[in-house]
Amino acid sequence: MPRLCETQRAFAEAVTEGWPQAVVTMIAPEASALRSVALYRRLIRNNYVQVLKITYPVLHRFVGEQYFGIVARGYIRRHPSTSGDLFTYGRHLSVFLHELQVSSLLVELARLEWACHEIHQAADSTPVSQEHIQAIASVDSSRVTVRFHEATRLLSFPIPVHRVWLALQPDAPADKVVDLPLPEEETSVVVTRVCGKVQVTPLAKPDYLMLEALSQGADLASVEWIAIESDLEFDFQRLWATVLNLSLISGFSVKETS
Amino acid sequence: MSFQFPAPIPAQAGIGLRSHHFREILEAPPPVAWMETHPENYFGEGGAPLRILERIRARYPLSFHGVGLSLGSTDPVDHAHLDKLKSLIDRFEPAFVSEHLSWCSVGGRFFNDLLPLPYTPESLDHVCSRIEEVQDALKRPLLIENITRYLTWRDSTVPEGEFMAKAAQRTGCGILLDLNNVYVNAVNFHLDPLDVLRAIPAQAVWEIHLAGFDRVGRWLVDTHGQVVYPEVWSLYQWAIDHFGPRPTLIEWDTNMPPLVVLVDQAKQAGAILGGCHAAAL
Repeated sequence: MPRLCETQRAFAEAVTEGWPQAVVTMIAPEASALRSVALYRRLIRNNYVQVLKITYPVLHRFVGEQYFGIVARGYIRRHPSTSGDLFTYGRHLSVFLHELQVSSLLVELARLEWACHEIHQAADSTPVSQEHIQAIASVDSSRVTVRFHEATRLLSFPIPVHRVWLALQPDAPADKVVDLPLPEEETSVVVTRVCGKVQVTPLAKPDYLMLEALSQGADLASVEWIAIESDLEFDFQRLWATVLNLSLISGFSVKETS
Repeated sequence: MSFQFPAPIPAQAGIGLRSHHFREILEAPPPVAWMETHPENYFGEGGAPLRILERIRARYPLSFHGVGLSLGSTDPVDHAHLDKLKSLIDRFEPAFVSEHLSWCSVGGRFFNDLLPLPYTPESLDHVCSRIEEVQDALKRPLLIENITRYLTWRDSTVPEGEFMAKAAQRTGCGILLDLNNVYVNAVNFHLDPLDVLRAIPAQAVWEIHLAGFDRVGRWLVDTHGQVVYPEVWSLYQWAIDHFGPRPTLIEWDTNMPPLVVLVDQAKQAGAILGGCHAAAL
Protein backbone atom coordinates (compact mmCIF):
# COMPACT_ATOMS: atom_id res chain seq x y z
CA MET A 1 0.00 0.00 0.00
CA PRO A 2 1.55 3.36 -0.99
CA ARG A 3 2.03 5.93 1.74
CA LEU A 4 -0.22 8.98 1.61
CA CYS A 5 2.65 11.24 0.54
CA GLU A 6 3.51 8.87 -2.33
CA THR A 7 -0.09 8.92 -3.49
CA GLN A 8 -0.16 12.70 -3.43
CA ARG A 9 3.15 13.02 -5.28
CA ALA A 10 2.04 10.52 -7.95
CA PHE A 11 -1.21 12.41 -8.44
CA ALA A 12 0.67 15.72 -8.69
CA GLU A 13 3.00 14.27 -11.31
CA ALA A 14 0.04 13.06 -13.35
CA VAL A 15 -1.79 16.36 -13.18
CA THR A 16 1.13 18.71 -13.74
CA GLU A 17 3.44 16.73 -16.00
CA GLY A 18 0.91 14.51 -17.73
CA TRP A 19 2.69 11.37 -16.46
CA PRO A 20 -0.15 9.23 -15.07
CA GLN A 21 1.75 5.89 -15.06
CA ALA A 22 2.38 5.84 -11.31
CA VAL A 23 -0.99 7.14 -10.21
CA VAL A 24 -3.20 4.91 -12.39
CA THR A 25 -1.98 1.86 -10.49
CA MET A 26 -3.30 3.49 -7.31
CA ILE A 27 -6.79 4.18 -8.66
CA ALA A 28 -9.56 1.61 -8.38
CA PRO A 29 -10.67 0.19 -11.73
CA GLU A 30 -14.36 1.06 -11.30
CA ALA A 31 -13.86 4.12 -13.50
CA SER A 32 -11.15 4.68 -16.09
CA ALA A 33 -8.14 6.00 -14.17
CA LEU A 34 -6.91 7.88 -17.22
CA ARG A 35 -10.27 9.58 -17.64
CA SER A 36 -10.30 10.54 -13.97
CA VAL A 37 -6.85 12.09 -14.16
CA ALA A 38 -7.78 13.86 -17.40
CA LEU A 39 -10.87 15.34 -15.74
CA TYR A 40 -8.83 16.64 -12.80
CA ARG A 41 -6.24 18.10 -15.17
CA ARG A 42 -9.01 19.90 -17.01
CA LEU A 43 -10.77 21.19 -13.88
CA ILE A 44 -7.51 22.43 -12.33
CA ARG A 45 -6.33 24.11 -15.53
CA ASN A 46 -9.73 25.75 -16.17
CA ASN A 47 -9.72 27.11 -12.63
CA TYR A 48 -6.37 28.86 -13.15
CA VAL A 49 -7.40 30.18 -16.58
CA GLN A 50 -10.50 31.63 -14.91
CA VAL A 51 -8.39 33.24 -12.18
CA LEU A 52 -6.13 34.84 -14.80
CA LYS A 53 -9.16 36.13 -16.74
CA ILE A 54 -10.50 37.77 -13.60
CA THR A 55 -7.11 39.32 -12.77
CA TYR A 56 -6.39 40.44 -16.34
CA PRO A 57 -9.80 41.38 -17.79
CA VAL A 58 -8.41 44.05 -20.15
CA LEU A 59 -5.73 41.79 -21.56
CA HIS A 60 -8.35 39.06 -22.01
CA ARG A 61 -10.63 41.46 -23.83
CA PHE A 62 -7.77 42.77 -25.96
CA VAL A 63 -6.39 39.45 -27.25
CA GLY A 64 -9.61 37.41 -27.22
CA GLU A 65 -10.56 34.06 -25.73
CA GLN A 66 -8.40 31.80 -27.86
CA TYR A 67 -5.09 33.65 -27.59
CA PHE A 68 -5.62 34.35 -23.90
CA GLY A 69 -6.25 30.64 -23.33
CA ILE A 70 -2.97 29.72 -25.05
CA VAL A 71 -1.01 32.28 -23.03
CA ALA A 72 -2.72 31.24 -19.80
CA ARG A 73 -1.98 27.54 -20.31
CA GLY A 74 1.68 28.34 -20.98
CA TYR A 75 1.80 30.51 -17.88
CA ILE A 76 0.20 27.81 -15.73
CA ARG A 77 2.88 25.33 -16.80
CA ARG A 78 5.72 27.78 -16.18
CA HIS A 79 4.40 29.31 -12.97
CA PRO A 80 2.57 26.79 -10.79
CA SER A 81 0.64 28.09 -7.81
CA THR A 82 2.50 28.09 -4.52
CA SER A 83 -0.29 29.28 -2.24
CA GLY A 84 -3.78 28.39 -1.12
CA ASP A 85 -4.61 32.07 -1.60
CA LEU A 86 -5.29 32.63 -5.29
CA PHE A 87 -5.12 36.42 -4.97
CA THR A 88 -1.37 36.22 -5.53
CA TYR A 89 -1.62 33.93 -8.56
CA GLY A 90 -0.63 35.53 -11.85
CA ARG A 91 1.86 38.08 -10.54
CA HIS A 92 4.51 37.02 -13.10
CA LEU A 93 2.35 37.30 -16.22
CA SER A 94 4.02 40.45 -17.57
CA VAL A 95 7.47 38.86 -17.18
CA PHE A 96 6.19 35.69 -18.82
CA LEU A 97 4.82 37.69 -21.77
CA HIS A 98 8.12 39.56 -22.05
CA GLU A 99 9.97 36.24 -22.23
CA LEU A 100 7.60 35.14 -24.99
CA GLN A 101 8.71 38.25 -26.93
CA VAL A 102 5.12 39.26 -27.68
CA SER A 103 4.14 42.88 -28.39
CA SER A 104 5.31 45.17 -25.60
CA LEU A 105 1.76 46.55 -25.45
CA LEU A 106 0.62 43.19 -24.00
CA VAL A 107 3.52 43.12 -21.54
CA GLU A 108 2.78 46.63 -20.29
CA LEU A 109 -0.98 46.09 -20.14
CA ALA A 110 -0.31 43.07 -17.93
CA ARG A 111 1.95 45.16 -15.69
CA LEU A 112 -0.72 47.84 -15.34
CA GLU A 113 -3.44 45.28 -14.60
CA TRP A 114 -1.37 43.55 -11.92
CA ALA A 115 -0.84 46.94 -10.22
CA CYS A 116 -4.62 47.52 -10.31
CA HIS A 117 -5.16 44.03 -8.85
CA GLU A 118 -2.75 44.72 -5.97
CA ILE A 119 -4.15 48.16 -5.25
CA HIS A 120 -7.69 46.77 -5.01
CA GLN A 121 -6.84 45.08 -1.70
CA ALA A 122 -3.82 47.12 -0.54
CA ALA A 123 -3.82 48.32 3.05
CA ASP A 124 -6.03 51.26 3.98
CA SER A 125 -4.51 54.40 5.40
CA THR A 126 -5.83 57.81 6.34
CA PRO A 127 -5.02 60.61 3.86
CA VAL A 128 -2.86 63.38 5.22
CA SER A 129 -4.92 66.21 6.73
CA GLN A 130 -4.97 69.85 5.65
CA GLU A 131 -3.72 70.81 9.13
CA HIS A 132 -0.74 68.55 8.72
CA ILE A 133 0.03 70.01 5.29
CA GLN A 134 -0.17 73.56 6.67
CA ALA A 135 2.06 72.65 9.59
CA ILE A 136 4.68 71.11 7.33
CA ALA A 137 4.75 74.21 5.11
CA SER A 138 6.61 76.11 7.83
CA VAL A 139 9.35 73.44 8.12
CA ASP A 140 12.63 73.64 6.17
CA SER A 141 11.81 71.58 3.03
CA SER A 142 15.25 69.95 3.00
CA ARG A 143 14.20 68.11 6.18
CA VAL A 144 10.84 66.88 4.88
CA THR A 145 10.15 63.55 3.17
CA VAL A 146 6.75 62.10 2.33
CA ARG A 147 5.17 58.71 2.98
CA PHE A 148 3.12 57.37 0.13
CA HIS A 149 -0.20 55.63 0.69
CA GLU A 150 0.06 51.80 0.53
CA ALA A 151 -2.55 51.91 -2.20
CA THR A 152 -0.38 53.91 -4.59
CA ARG A 153 1.72 52.61 -7.49
CA LEU A 154 3.73 54.83 -9.82
CA LEU A 155 4.31 53.18 -13.18
CA SER A 156 6.20 54.26 -16.25
CA PHE A 157 5.94 52.44 -19.57
CA PRO A 158 8.05 52.43 -22.71
CA ILE A 159 4.83 52.91 -24.68
CA PRO A 160 1.57 54.68 -23.82
CA VAL A 161 -0.76 51.91 -22.61
CA HIS A 162 -3.18 53.97 -20.54
CA ARG A 163 -5.44 54.93 -23.43
CA VAL A 164 -5.70 51.31 -24.61
CA TRP A 165 -6.43 50.16 -21.06
CA LEU A 166 -9.18 52.79 -20.80
CA ALA A 167 -10.77 51.83 -24.12
CA LEU A 168 -10.97 48.18 -23.07
CA GLN A 169 -12.75 48.68 -19.75
CA PRO A 170 -15.89 46.53 -19.39
CA ASP A 171 -18.11 49.63 -19.41
CA ALA A 172 -16.37 51.24 -22.41
CA PRO A 173 -18.31 51.28 -25.69
CA ALA A 174 -17.51 48.19 -27.74
CA ASP A 175 -16.90 50.19 -30.92
CA LYS A 176 -14.50 52.68 -29.30
CA VAL A 177 -11.58 53.46 -31.63
CA VAL A 178 -8.15 54.22 -30.19
CA ASP A 179 -6.23 56.60 -32.45
CA LEU A 180 -2.68 55.59 -33.32
CA PRO A 181 0.00 56.64 -32.76
CA LEU A 182 -0.73 57.06 -29.09
CA PRO A 183 0.36 60.31 -27.41
CA GLU A 184 3.87 59.84 -26.14
CA GLU A 185 3.34 62.04 -23.12
CA GLU A 186 1.00 59.40 -21.68
CA THR A 187 3.66 56.90 -20.71
CA SER A 188 3.39 57.37 -16.94
CA VAL A 189 0.49 56.73 -14.59
CA VAL A 190 -0.31 56.57 -10.94
CA VAL A 191 -2.62 53.78 -9.77
CA THR A 192 -4.62 54.66 -6.67
CA ARG A 193 -7.79 53.71 -4.86
CA VAL A 194 -10.42 56.40 -4.51
CA CYS A 195 -13.54 55.59 -2.46
CA GLY A 196 -12.71 51.90 -2.73
CA LYS A 197 -12.41 51.99 -6.52
CA VAL A 198 -9.13 51.54 -8.37
CA GLN A 199 -8.26 54.59 -10.44
CA VAL A 200 -5.54 54.99 -13.07
CA THR A 201 -4.45 58.59 -13.70
CA PRO A 202 -1.99 59.58 -16.43
CA LEU A 203 0.93 61.72 -15.30
CA ALA A 204 3.08 64.15 -17.24
CA LYS A 205 6.66 62.87 -17.36
CA PRO A 206 8.07 65.63 -15.07
CA ASP A 207 5.31 64.96 -12.51
CA TYR A 208 6.11 61.27 -12.59
CA LEU A 209 9.81 61.93 -12.05
CA MET A 210 9.10 64.21 -9.06
CA LEU A 211 6.75 61.69 -7.47
CA GLU A 212 9.12 58.82 -8.13
CA ALA A 213 11.95 60.73 -6.44
CA LEU A 214 9.71 61.46 -3.46
CA SER A 215 8.60 57.84 -3.25
CA GLN A 216 12.27 56.81 -3.12
CA GLY A 217 12.90 59.04 -0.10
CA ALA A 218 14.14 62.28 -1.65
CA ASP A 219 13.35 65.34 0.46
CA LEU A 220 11.09 68.12 -0.80
CA ALA A 221 13.94 70.59 -1.39
CA SER A 222 15.84 68.12 -3.62
CA VAL A 223 12.73 67.42 -5.64
CA GLU A 224 12.03 71.12 -6.10
CA TRP A 225 15.58 71.54 -7.33
CA ILE A 226 15.20 68.69 -9.85
CA ALA A 227 12.01 70.33 -11.11
CA ILE A 228 13.50 73.78 -11.51
CA GLU A 229 16.55 72.36 -13.25
CA SER A 230 14.38 70.61 -15.81
CA ASP A 231 11.78 73.35 -16.21
CA LEU A 232 11.99 76.84 -14.75
CA GLU A 233 8.22 77.20 -15.08
CA PHE A 234 7.38 73.95 -13.27
CA ASP A 235 4.10 74.44 -11.40
CA PHE A 236 4.38 72.91 -7.94
CA GLN A 237 0.88 74.06 -6.94
CA ARG A 238 -0.59 71.94 -9.72
CA LEU A 239 1.48 68.90 -8.72
CA TRP A 240 0.43 69.24 -5.07
CA ALA A 241 -3.20 69.57 -6.11
CA THR A 242 -2.86 66.24 -7.97
CA VAL A 243 -1.16 64.65 -4.97
CA LEU A 244 -3.89 65.79 -2.59
CA ASN A 245 -6.84 65.08 -4.90
CA LEU A 246 -5.67 61.52 -5.40
CA SER A 247 -4.75 61.04 -1.72
CA LEU A 248 -1.34 59.76 -2.77
CA ILE A 249 0.43 60.43 0.49
CA SER A 250 -0.37 59.36 4.00
CA GLY A 251 2.08 61.53 5.93
CA PHE A 252 5.34 63.40 6.24
CA SER A 253 8.55 62.71 8.07
CA VAL A 254 10.77 65.49 9.37
CA LYS A 255 14.47 64.75 9.78
CA GLU A 256 16.04 65.86 13.03
CA THR A 257 18.47 68.76 12.75
CA SER A 258 22.02 67.81 13.66
CA MET B 1 -15.44 47.12 13.75
CA SER B 2 -15.54 44.48 16.47
CA PHE B 3 -18.33 42.14 17.44
CA GLN B 4 -18.93 41.34 21.08
CA PHE B 5 -20.17 37.82 20.44
CA PRO B 6 -20.31 35.68 17.35
CA ALA B 7 -23.88 35.75 16.10
CA PRO B 8 -25.16 32.15 16.13
CA ILE B 9 -26.27 30.60 12.87
CA PRO B 10 -29.91 29.57 13.15
CA ALA B 11 -31.21 26.27 11.74
CA GLN B 12 -32.49 28.23 8.76
CA ALA B 13 -31.41 28.78 5.17
CA GLY B 14 -28.61 31.10 4.10
CA ILE B 15 -26.78 31.89 0.89
CA GLY B 16 -23.18 32.01 -0.27
CA LEU B 17 -21.82 35.55 -0.39
CA ARG B 18 -20.01 36.30 -3.65
CA SER B 19 -18.70 39.63 -4.98
CA HIS B 20 -21.04 39.32 -7.96
CA HIS B 21 -23.93 40.11 -5.59
CA PHE B 22 -22.30 42.74 -3.35
CA ARG B 23 -24.17 45.67 -4.82
CA GLU B 24 -27.57 43.96 -4.79
CA ILE B 25 -27.09 42.84 -1.18
CA LEU B 26 -26.03 46.28 0.04
CA GLU B 27 -28.84 48.06 -1.80
CA ALA B 28 -31.61 45.67 -0.77
CA PRO B 29 -30.55 43.15 1.90
CA PRO B 30 -32.26 39.87 0.99
CA PRO B 31 -34.53 37.97 3.41
CA VAL B 32 -32.10 35.16 4.24
CA ALA B 33 -31.05 34.05 7.71
CA TRP B 34 -27.26 34.08 7.25
CA MET B 35 -24.42 34.19 4.76
CA GLU B 36 -21.25 32.24 4.14
CA THR B 37 -18.10 33.30 2.32
CA HIS B 38 -14.63 32.10 1.40
CA PRO B 39 -12.23 33.82 3.83
CA GLU B 40 -9.41 33.72 1.24
CA ASN B 41 -11.31 36.38 -0.72
CA TYR B 42 -10.64 38.78 2.16
CA PHE B 43 -6.96 38.02 2.80
CA GLY B 44 -5.95 41.42 1.39
CA GLU B 45 -4.88 44.11 3.85
CA GLY B 46 -7.57 46.64 2.95
CA GLY B 47 -9.89 47.95 0.28
CA ALA B 48 -13.54 47.56 -0.59
CA PRO B 49 -13.97 43.79 0.02
CA LEU B 50 -13.22 44.09 3.73
CA ARG B 51 -15.42 47.15 4.16
CA ILE B 52 -18.29 45.46 2.34
CA LEU B 53 -17.91 42.35 4.48
CA GLU B 54 -18.08 44.55 7.60
CA ARG B 55 -21.39 46.01 6.44
CA ILE B 56 -22.81 42.60 5.64
CA ARG B 57 -21.53 41.13 8.90
CA ALA B 58 -23.28 43.89 10.82
CA ARG B 59 -26.56 42.63 9.40
CA TYR B 60 -26.20 38.86 9.02
CA PRO B 61 -24.65 35.99 10.97
CA LEU B 62 -21.62 34.85 9.02
CA SER B 63 -19.80 31.60 8.34
CA PHE B 64 -16.30 31.16 6.84
CA HIS B 65 -15.84 28.33 4.36
CA GLY B 66 -12.14 27.91 3.57
CA VAL B 67 -10.80 26.47 0.34
CA GLY B 68 -7.04 26.90 0.68
CA LEU B 69 -5.84 25.26 3.88
CA SER B 70 -5.06 21.92 2.20
CA LEU B 71 -6.12 20.05 5.31
CA GLY B 72 -5.17 16.58 4.03
CA SER B 73 -1.82 17.52 2.51
CA THR B 74 1.35 15.79 3.67
CA ASP B 75 3.14 19.16 3.46
CA PRO B 76 3.39 21.09 6.72
CA VAL B 77 0.38 23.30 7.55
CA ASP B 78 0.84 26.72 5.94
CA HIS B 79 1.03 28.89 9.04
CA ALA B 80 1.08 32.13 7.07
CA HIS B 81 -2.30 31.10 5.64
CA LEU B 82 -3.52 30.07 9.07
CA ASP B 83 -2.42 33.39 10.58
CA LYS B 84 -4.36 35.34 7.97
CA LEU B 85 -7.41 33.18 8.63
CA LYS B 86 -7.08 33.68 12.37
CA SER B 87 -6.88 37.45 12.10
CA LEU B 88 -9.92 37.48 9.83
CA ILE B 89 -11.80 35.31 12.34
CA ASP B 90 -10.83 37.66 15.16
CA ARG B 91 -12.13 40.60 13.15
CA PHE B 92 -15.42 39.15 11.87
CA GLU B 93 -16.21 36.47 14.46
CA PRO B 94 -17.96 34.01 12.17
CA ALA B 95 -20.20 31.46 13.88
CA PHE B 96 -18.71 28.58 11.84
CA VAL B 97 -15.31 28.04 10.24
CA SER B 98 -15.20 25.14 7.83
CA GLU B 99 -12.70 23.50 5.47
CA HIS B 100 -12.80 20.61 3.04
CA LEU B 101 -11.80 17.06 3.84
CA SER B 102 -9.33 17.06 0.98
CA TRP B 103 -5.84 18.13 -0.02
CA CYS B 104 -4.67 20.61 -2.63
CA SER B 105 -0.89 20.82 -2.35
CA VAL B 106 2.20 18.66 -2.18
CA GLY B 107 5.89 19.49 -2.35
CA GLY B 108 5.06 23.19 -2.06
CA ARG B 109 2.99 23.15 -5.23
CA PHE B 110 -0.70 24.02 -5.02
CA PHE B 111 -3.50 22.82 -7.28
CA ASN B 112 -6.19 25.02 -5.70
CA ASP B 113 -8.75 22.27 -6.18
CA LEU B 114 -10.35 19.83 -3.77
CA LEU B 115 -8.50 16.54 -4.23
CA PRO B 116 -9.66 13.31 -2.60
CA LEU B 117 -7.83 11.51 0.16
CA PRO B 118 -7.57 7.73 0.21
CA TYR B 119 -9.87 6.66 3.04
CA THR B 120 -7.32 4.64 4.99
CA PRO B 121 -6.34 4.45 8.66
CA GLU B 122 -3.12 6.34 7.77
CA SER B 123 -5.11 9.19 6.14
CA LEU B 124 -7.47 9.29 9.10
CA ASP B 125 -4.58 9.61 11.58
CA HIS B 126 -2.97 12.26 9.41
CA VAL B 127 -6.07 14.36 8.84
CA CYS B 128 -7.11 14.14 12.50
CA SER B 129 -3.73 15.48 13.61
CA ARG B 130 -4.03 18.30 11.06
CA ILE B 131 -7.56 19.17 12.20
CA GLU B 132 -6.31 19.29 15.79
CA GLU B 133 -3.38 21.50 14.77
CA VAL B 134 -5.73 23.92 13.01
CA GLN B 135 -8.27 23.90 15.84
CA ASP B 136 -5.48 24.62 18.35
CA ALA B 137 -4.23 27.51 16.24
CA LEU B 138 -7.71 28.96 15.67
CA LYS B 139 -8.83 28.20 19.24
CA ARG B 140 -12.18 26.96 17.99
CA PRO B 141 -13.70 23.85 16.45
CA LEU B 142 -13.58 23.40 12.71
CA LEU B 143 -16.24 21.91 10.45
CA ILE B 144 -15.05 19.50 7.75
CA GLU B 145 -16.93 19.12 4.48
CA ASN B 146 -17.24 16.01 2.32
CA ILE B 147 -16.10 16.65 -1.26
CA THR B 148 -16.94 15.28 -4.69
CA ARG B 149 -14.40 12.92 -6.15
CA TYR B 150 -13.83 11.67 -9.66
CA LEU B 151 -11.76 8.66 -8.67
CA THR B 152 -11.61 6.02 -5.97
CA TRP B 153 -8.23 5.23 -4.48
CA ARG B 154 -7.54 1.51 -4.71
CA ASP B 155 -6.38 1.29 -1.10
CA SER B 156 -9.41 3.08 0.41
CA THR B 157 -10.73 0.71 3.04
CA VAL B 158 -12.88 2.97 5.21
CA PRO B 159 -16.30 4.04 3.84
CA GLU B 160 -16.54 7.82 3.41
CA GLY B 161 -19.31 8.36 5.98
CA GLU B 162 -17.45 6.31 8.56
CA PHE B 163 -14.21 8.18 7.82
CA MET B 164 -15.92 11.52 8.46
CA ALA B 165 -17.70 10.28 11.57
CA LYS B 166 -14.42 9.01 13.03
CA ALA B 167 -12.64 12.27 12.25
CA ALA B 168 -15.41 14.19 14.03
CA GLN B 169 -15.40 11.83 16.99
CA ARG B 170 -11.61 11.93 17.44
CA THR B 171 -11.11 15.69 17.01
CA GLY B 172 -14.40 17.19 18.21
CA CYS B 173 -14.85 18.94 14.86
CA GLY B 174 -18.26 19.26 13.25
CA ILE B 175 -19.37 17.99 9.86
CA LEU B 176 -20.53 20.22 7.06
CA LEU B 177 -22.59 17.80 5.04
CA ASP B 178 -22.72 18.69 1.35
CA LEU B 179 -25.67 16.77 -0.02
CA ASN B 180 -24.96 17.68 -3.62
CA ASN B 181 -21.52 16.11 -3.22
CA VAL B 182 -23.03 12.99 -1.67
CA TYR B 183 -25.43 12.71 -4.62
CA VAL B 184 -22.79 13.41 -7.29
CA ASN B 185 -20.45 10.76 -5.84
CA ALA B 186 -23.32 8.28 -5.57
CA VAL B 187 -24.24 8.70 -9.25
CA ASN B 188 -20.64 8.72 -10.51
CA PHE B 189 -19.72 5.56 -8.60
CA HIS B 190 -23.08 3.76 -8.44
CA LEU B 191 -23.40 4.04 -4.67
CA ASP B 192 -26.36 4.45 -2.34
CA PRO B 193 -26.20 8.04 -1.03
CA LEU B 194 -27.98 7.00 2.16
CA ASP B 195 -25.05 4.75 3.09
CA VAL B 196 -22.94 7.88 3.65
CA LEU B 197 -25.66 9.68 5.60
CA ARG B 198 -26.52 6.72 7.83
CA ALA B 199 -22.88 6.41 8.91
CA ILE B 200 -22.81 9.95 10.32
CA PRO B 201 -24.20 10.60 13.81
CA ALA B 202 -26.78 13.40 13.91
CA GLN B 203 -24.95 15.39 16.57
CA ALA B 204 -21.87 15.65 14.33
CA VAL B 205 -23.80 17.43 11.54
CA TRP B 206 -23.63 21.16 12.20
CA GLU B 207 -24.35 22.51 8.73
CA ILE B 208 -25.67 21.38 5.35
CA HIS B 209 -24.74 22.58 1.85
CA LEU B 210 -26.96 22.41 -1.21
CA ALA B 211 -25.85 23.24 -4.76
CA GLY B 212 -26.23 22.28 -8.40
CA PHE B 213 -24.03 20.19 -10.68
CA ASP B 214 -23.32 19.88 -14.40
CA ARG B 215 -22.78 16.88 -16.60
CA VAL B 216 -19.32 16.64 -18.23
CA GLY B 217 -19.07 13.50 -20.36
CA ARG B 218 -19.82 10.51 -18.16
CA TRP B 219 -19.36 12.52 -14.98
CA LEU B 220 -21.58 14.67 -12.87
CA VAL B 221 -19.34 17.57 -11.83
CA ASP B 222 -19.88 19.71 -8.76
CA THR B 223 -19.86 23.11 -10.49
CA HIS B 224 -22.14 25.09 -8.16
CA GLY B 225 -23.56 26.61 -11.30
CA GLN B 226 -27.17 25.39 -11.37
CA VAL B 227 -30.24 25.25 -9.17
CA VAL B 228 -30.44 22.36 -6.71
CA TYR B 229 -31.65 19.25 -8.55
CA PRO B 230 -34.87 17.48 -7.50
CA GLU B 231 -32.93 14.37 -6.48
CA VAL B 232 -30.81 16.48 -4.11
CA TRP B 233 -33.92 18.16 -2.67
CA SER B 234 -35.25 14.66 -1.92
CA LEU B 235 -31.99 13.76 -0.21
CA TYR B 236 -32.23 17.00 1.78
CA GLN B 237 -35.76 16.13 2.94
CA TRP B 238 -34.46 12.75 4.07
CA ALA B 239 -31.48 14.35 5.84
CA ILE B 240 -33.61 16.90 7.69
CA ASP B 241 -36.05 14.18 8.77
CA HIS B 242 -33.11 12.05 9.91
CA PHE B 243 -30.73 14.62 11.48
CA GLY B 244 -33.23 17.34 12.39
CA PRO B 245 -33.15 20.95 11.17
CA ARG B 246 -29.66 22.29 10.44
CA PRO B 247 -28.32 25.61 9.12
CA THR B 248 -28.47 25.12 5.37
CA LEU B 249 -26.57 26.99 2.71
CA ILE B 250 -27.32 27.50 -0.98
CA GLU B 251 -23.92 27.55 -2.70
CA TRP B 252 -23.39 29.10 -6.13
CA ASP B 253 -19.96 29.82 -7.64
CA THR B 254 -20.13 29.69 -11.44
CA ASN B 255 -22.63 30.91 -14.02
CA MET B 256 -23.83 33.39 -11.40
CA PRO B 257 -27.57 34.19 -11.57
CA PRO B 258 -29.37 37.24 -10.15
CA LEU B 259 -29.50 37.23 -6.35
CA VAL B 260 -33.23 36.50 -6.38
CA VAL B 261 -32.53 32.99 -7.72
CA LEU B 262 -30.41 32.16 -4.66
CA VAL B 263 -33.01 33.69 -2.38
CA ASP B 264 -35.72 31.53 -3.99
CA GLN B 265 -33.58 28.43 -3.49
CA ALA B 266 -33.06 29.42 0.15
CA LYS B 267 -36.85 29.76 0.51
CA GLN B 268 -37.29 26.21 -0.80
CA ALA B 269 -34.80 24.95 1.76
CA GLY B 270 -36.60 27.03 4.40
CA ALA B 271 -39.90 25.35 3.53
CA ILE B 272 -38.37 21.93 4.21
CA LEU B 273 -36.76 23.15 7.43
CA GLY B 274 -40.05 24.76 8.51
CA GLY B 275 -41.95 21.58 7.73
CA CYS B 276 -39.60 19.69 9.99
CA HIS B 277 -40.21 22.19 12.81
CA ALA B 278 -43.96 21.74 12.37
CA ALA B 279 -43.63 17.96 12.38
CA ALA B 280 -41.51 18.10 15.52
CA LEU B 281 -44.11 20.22 17.29
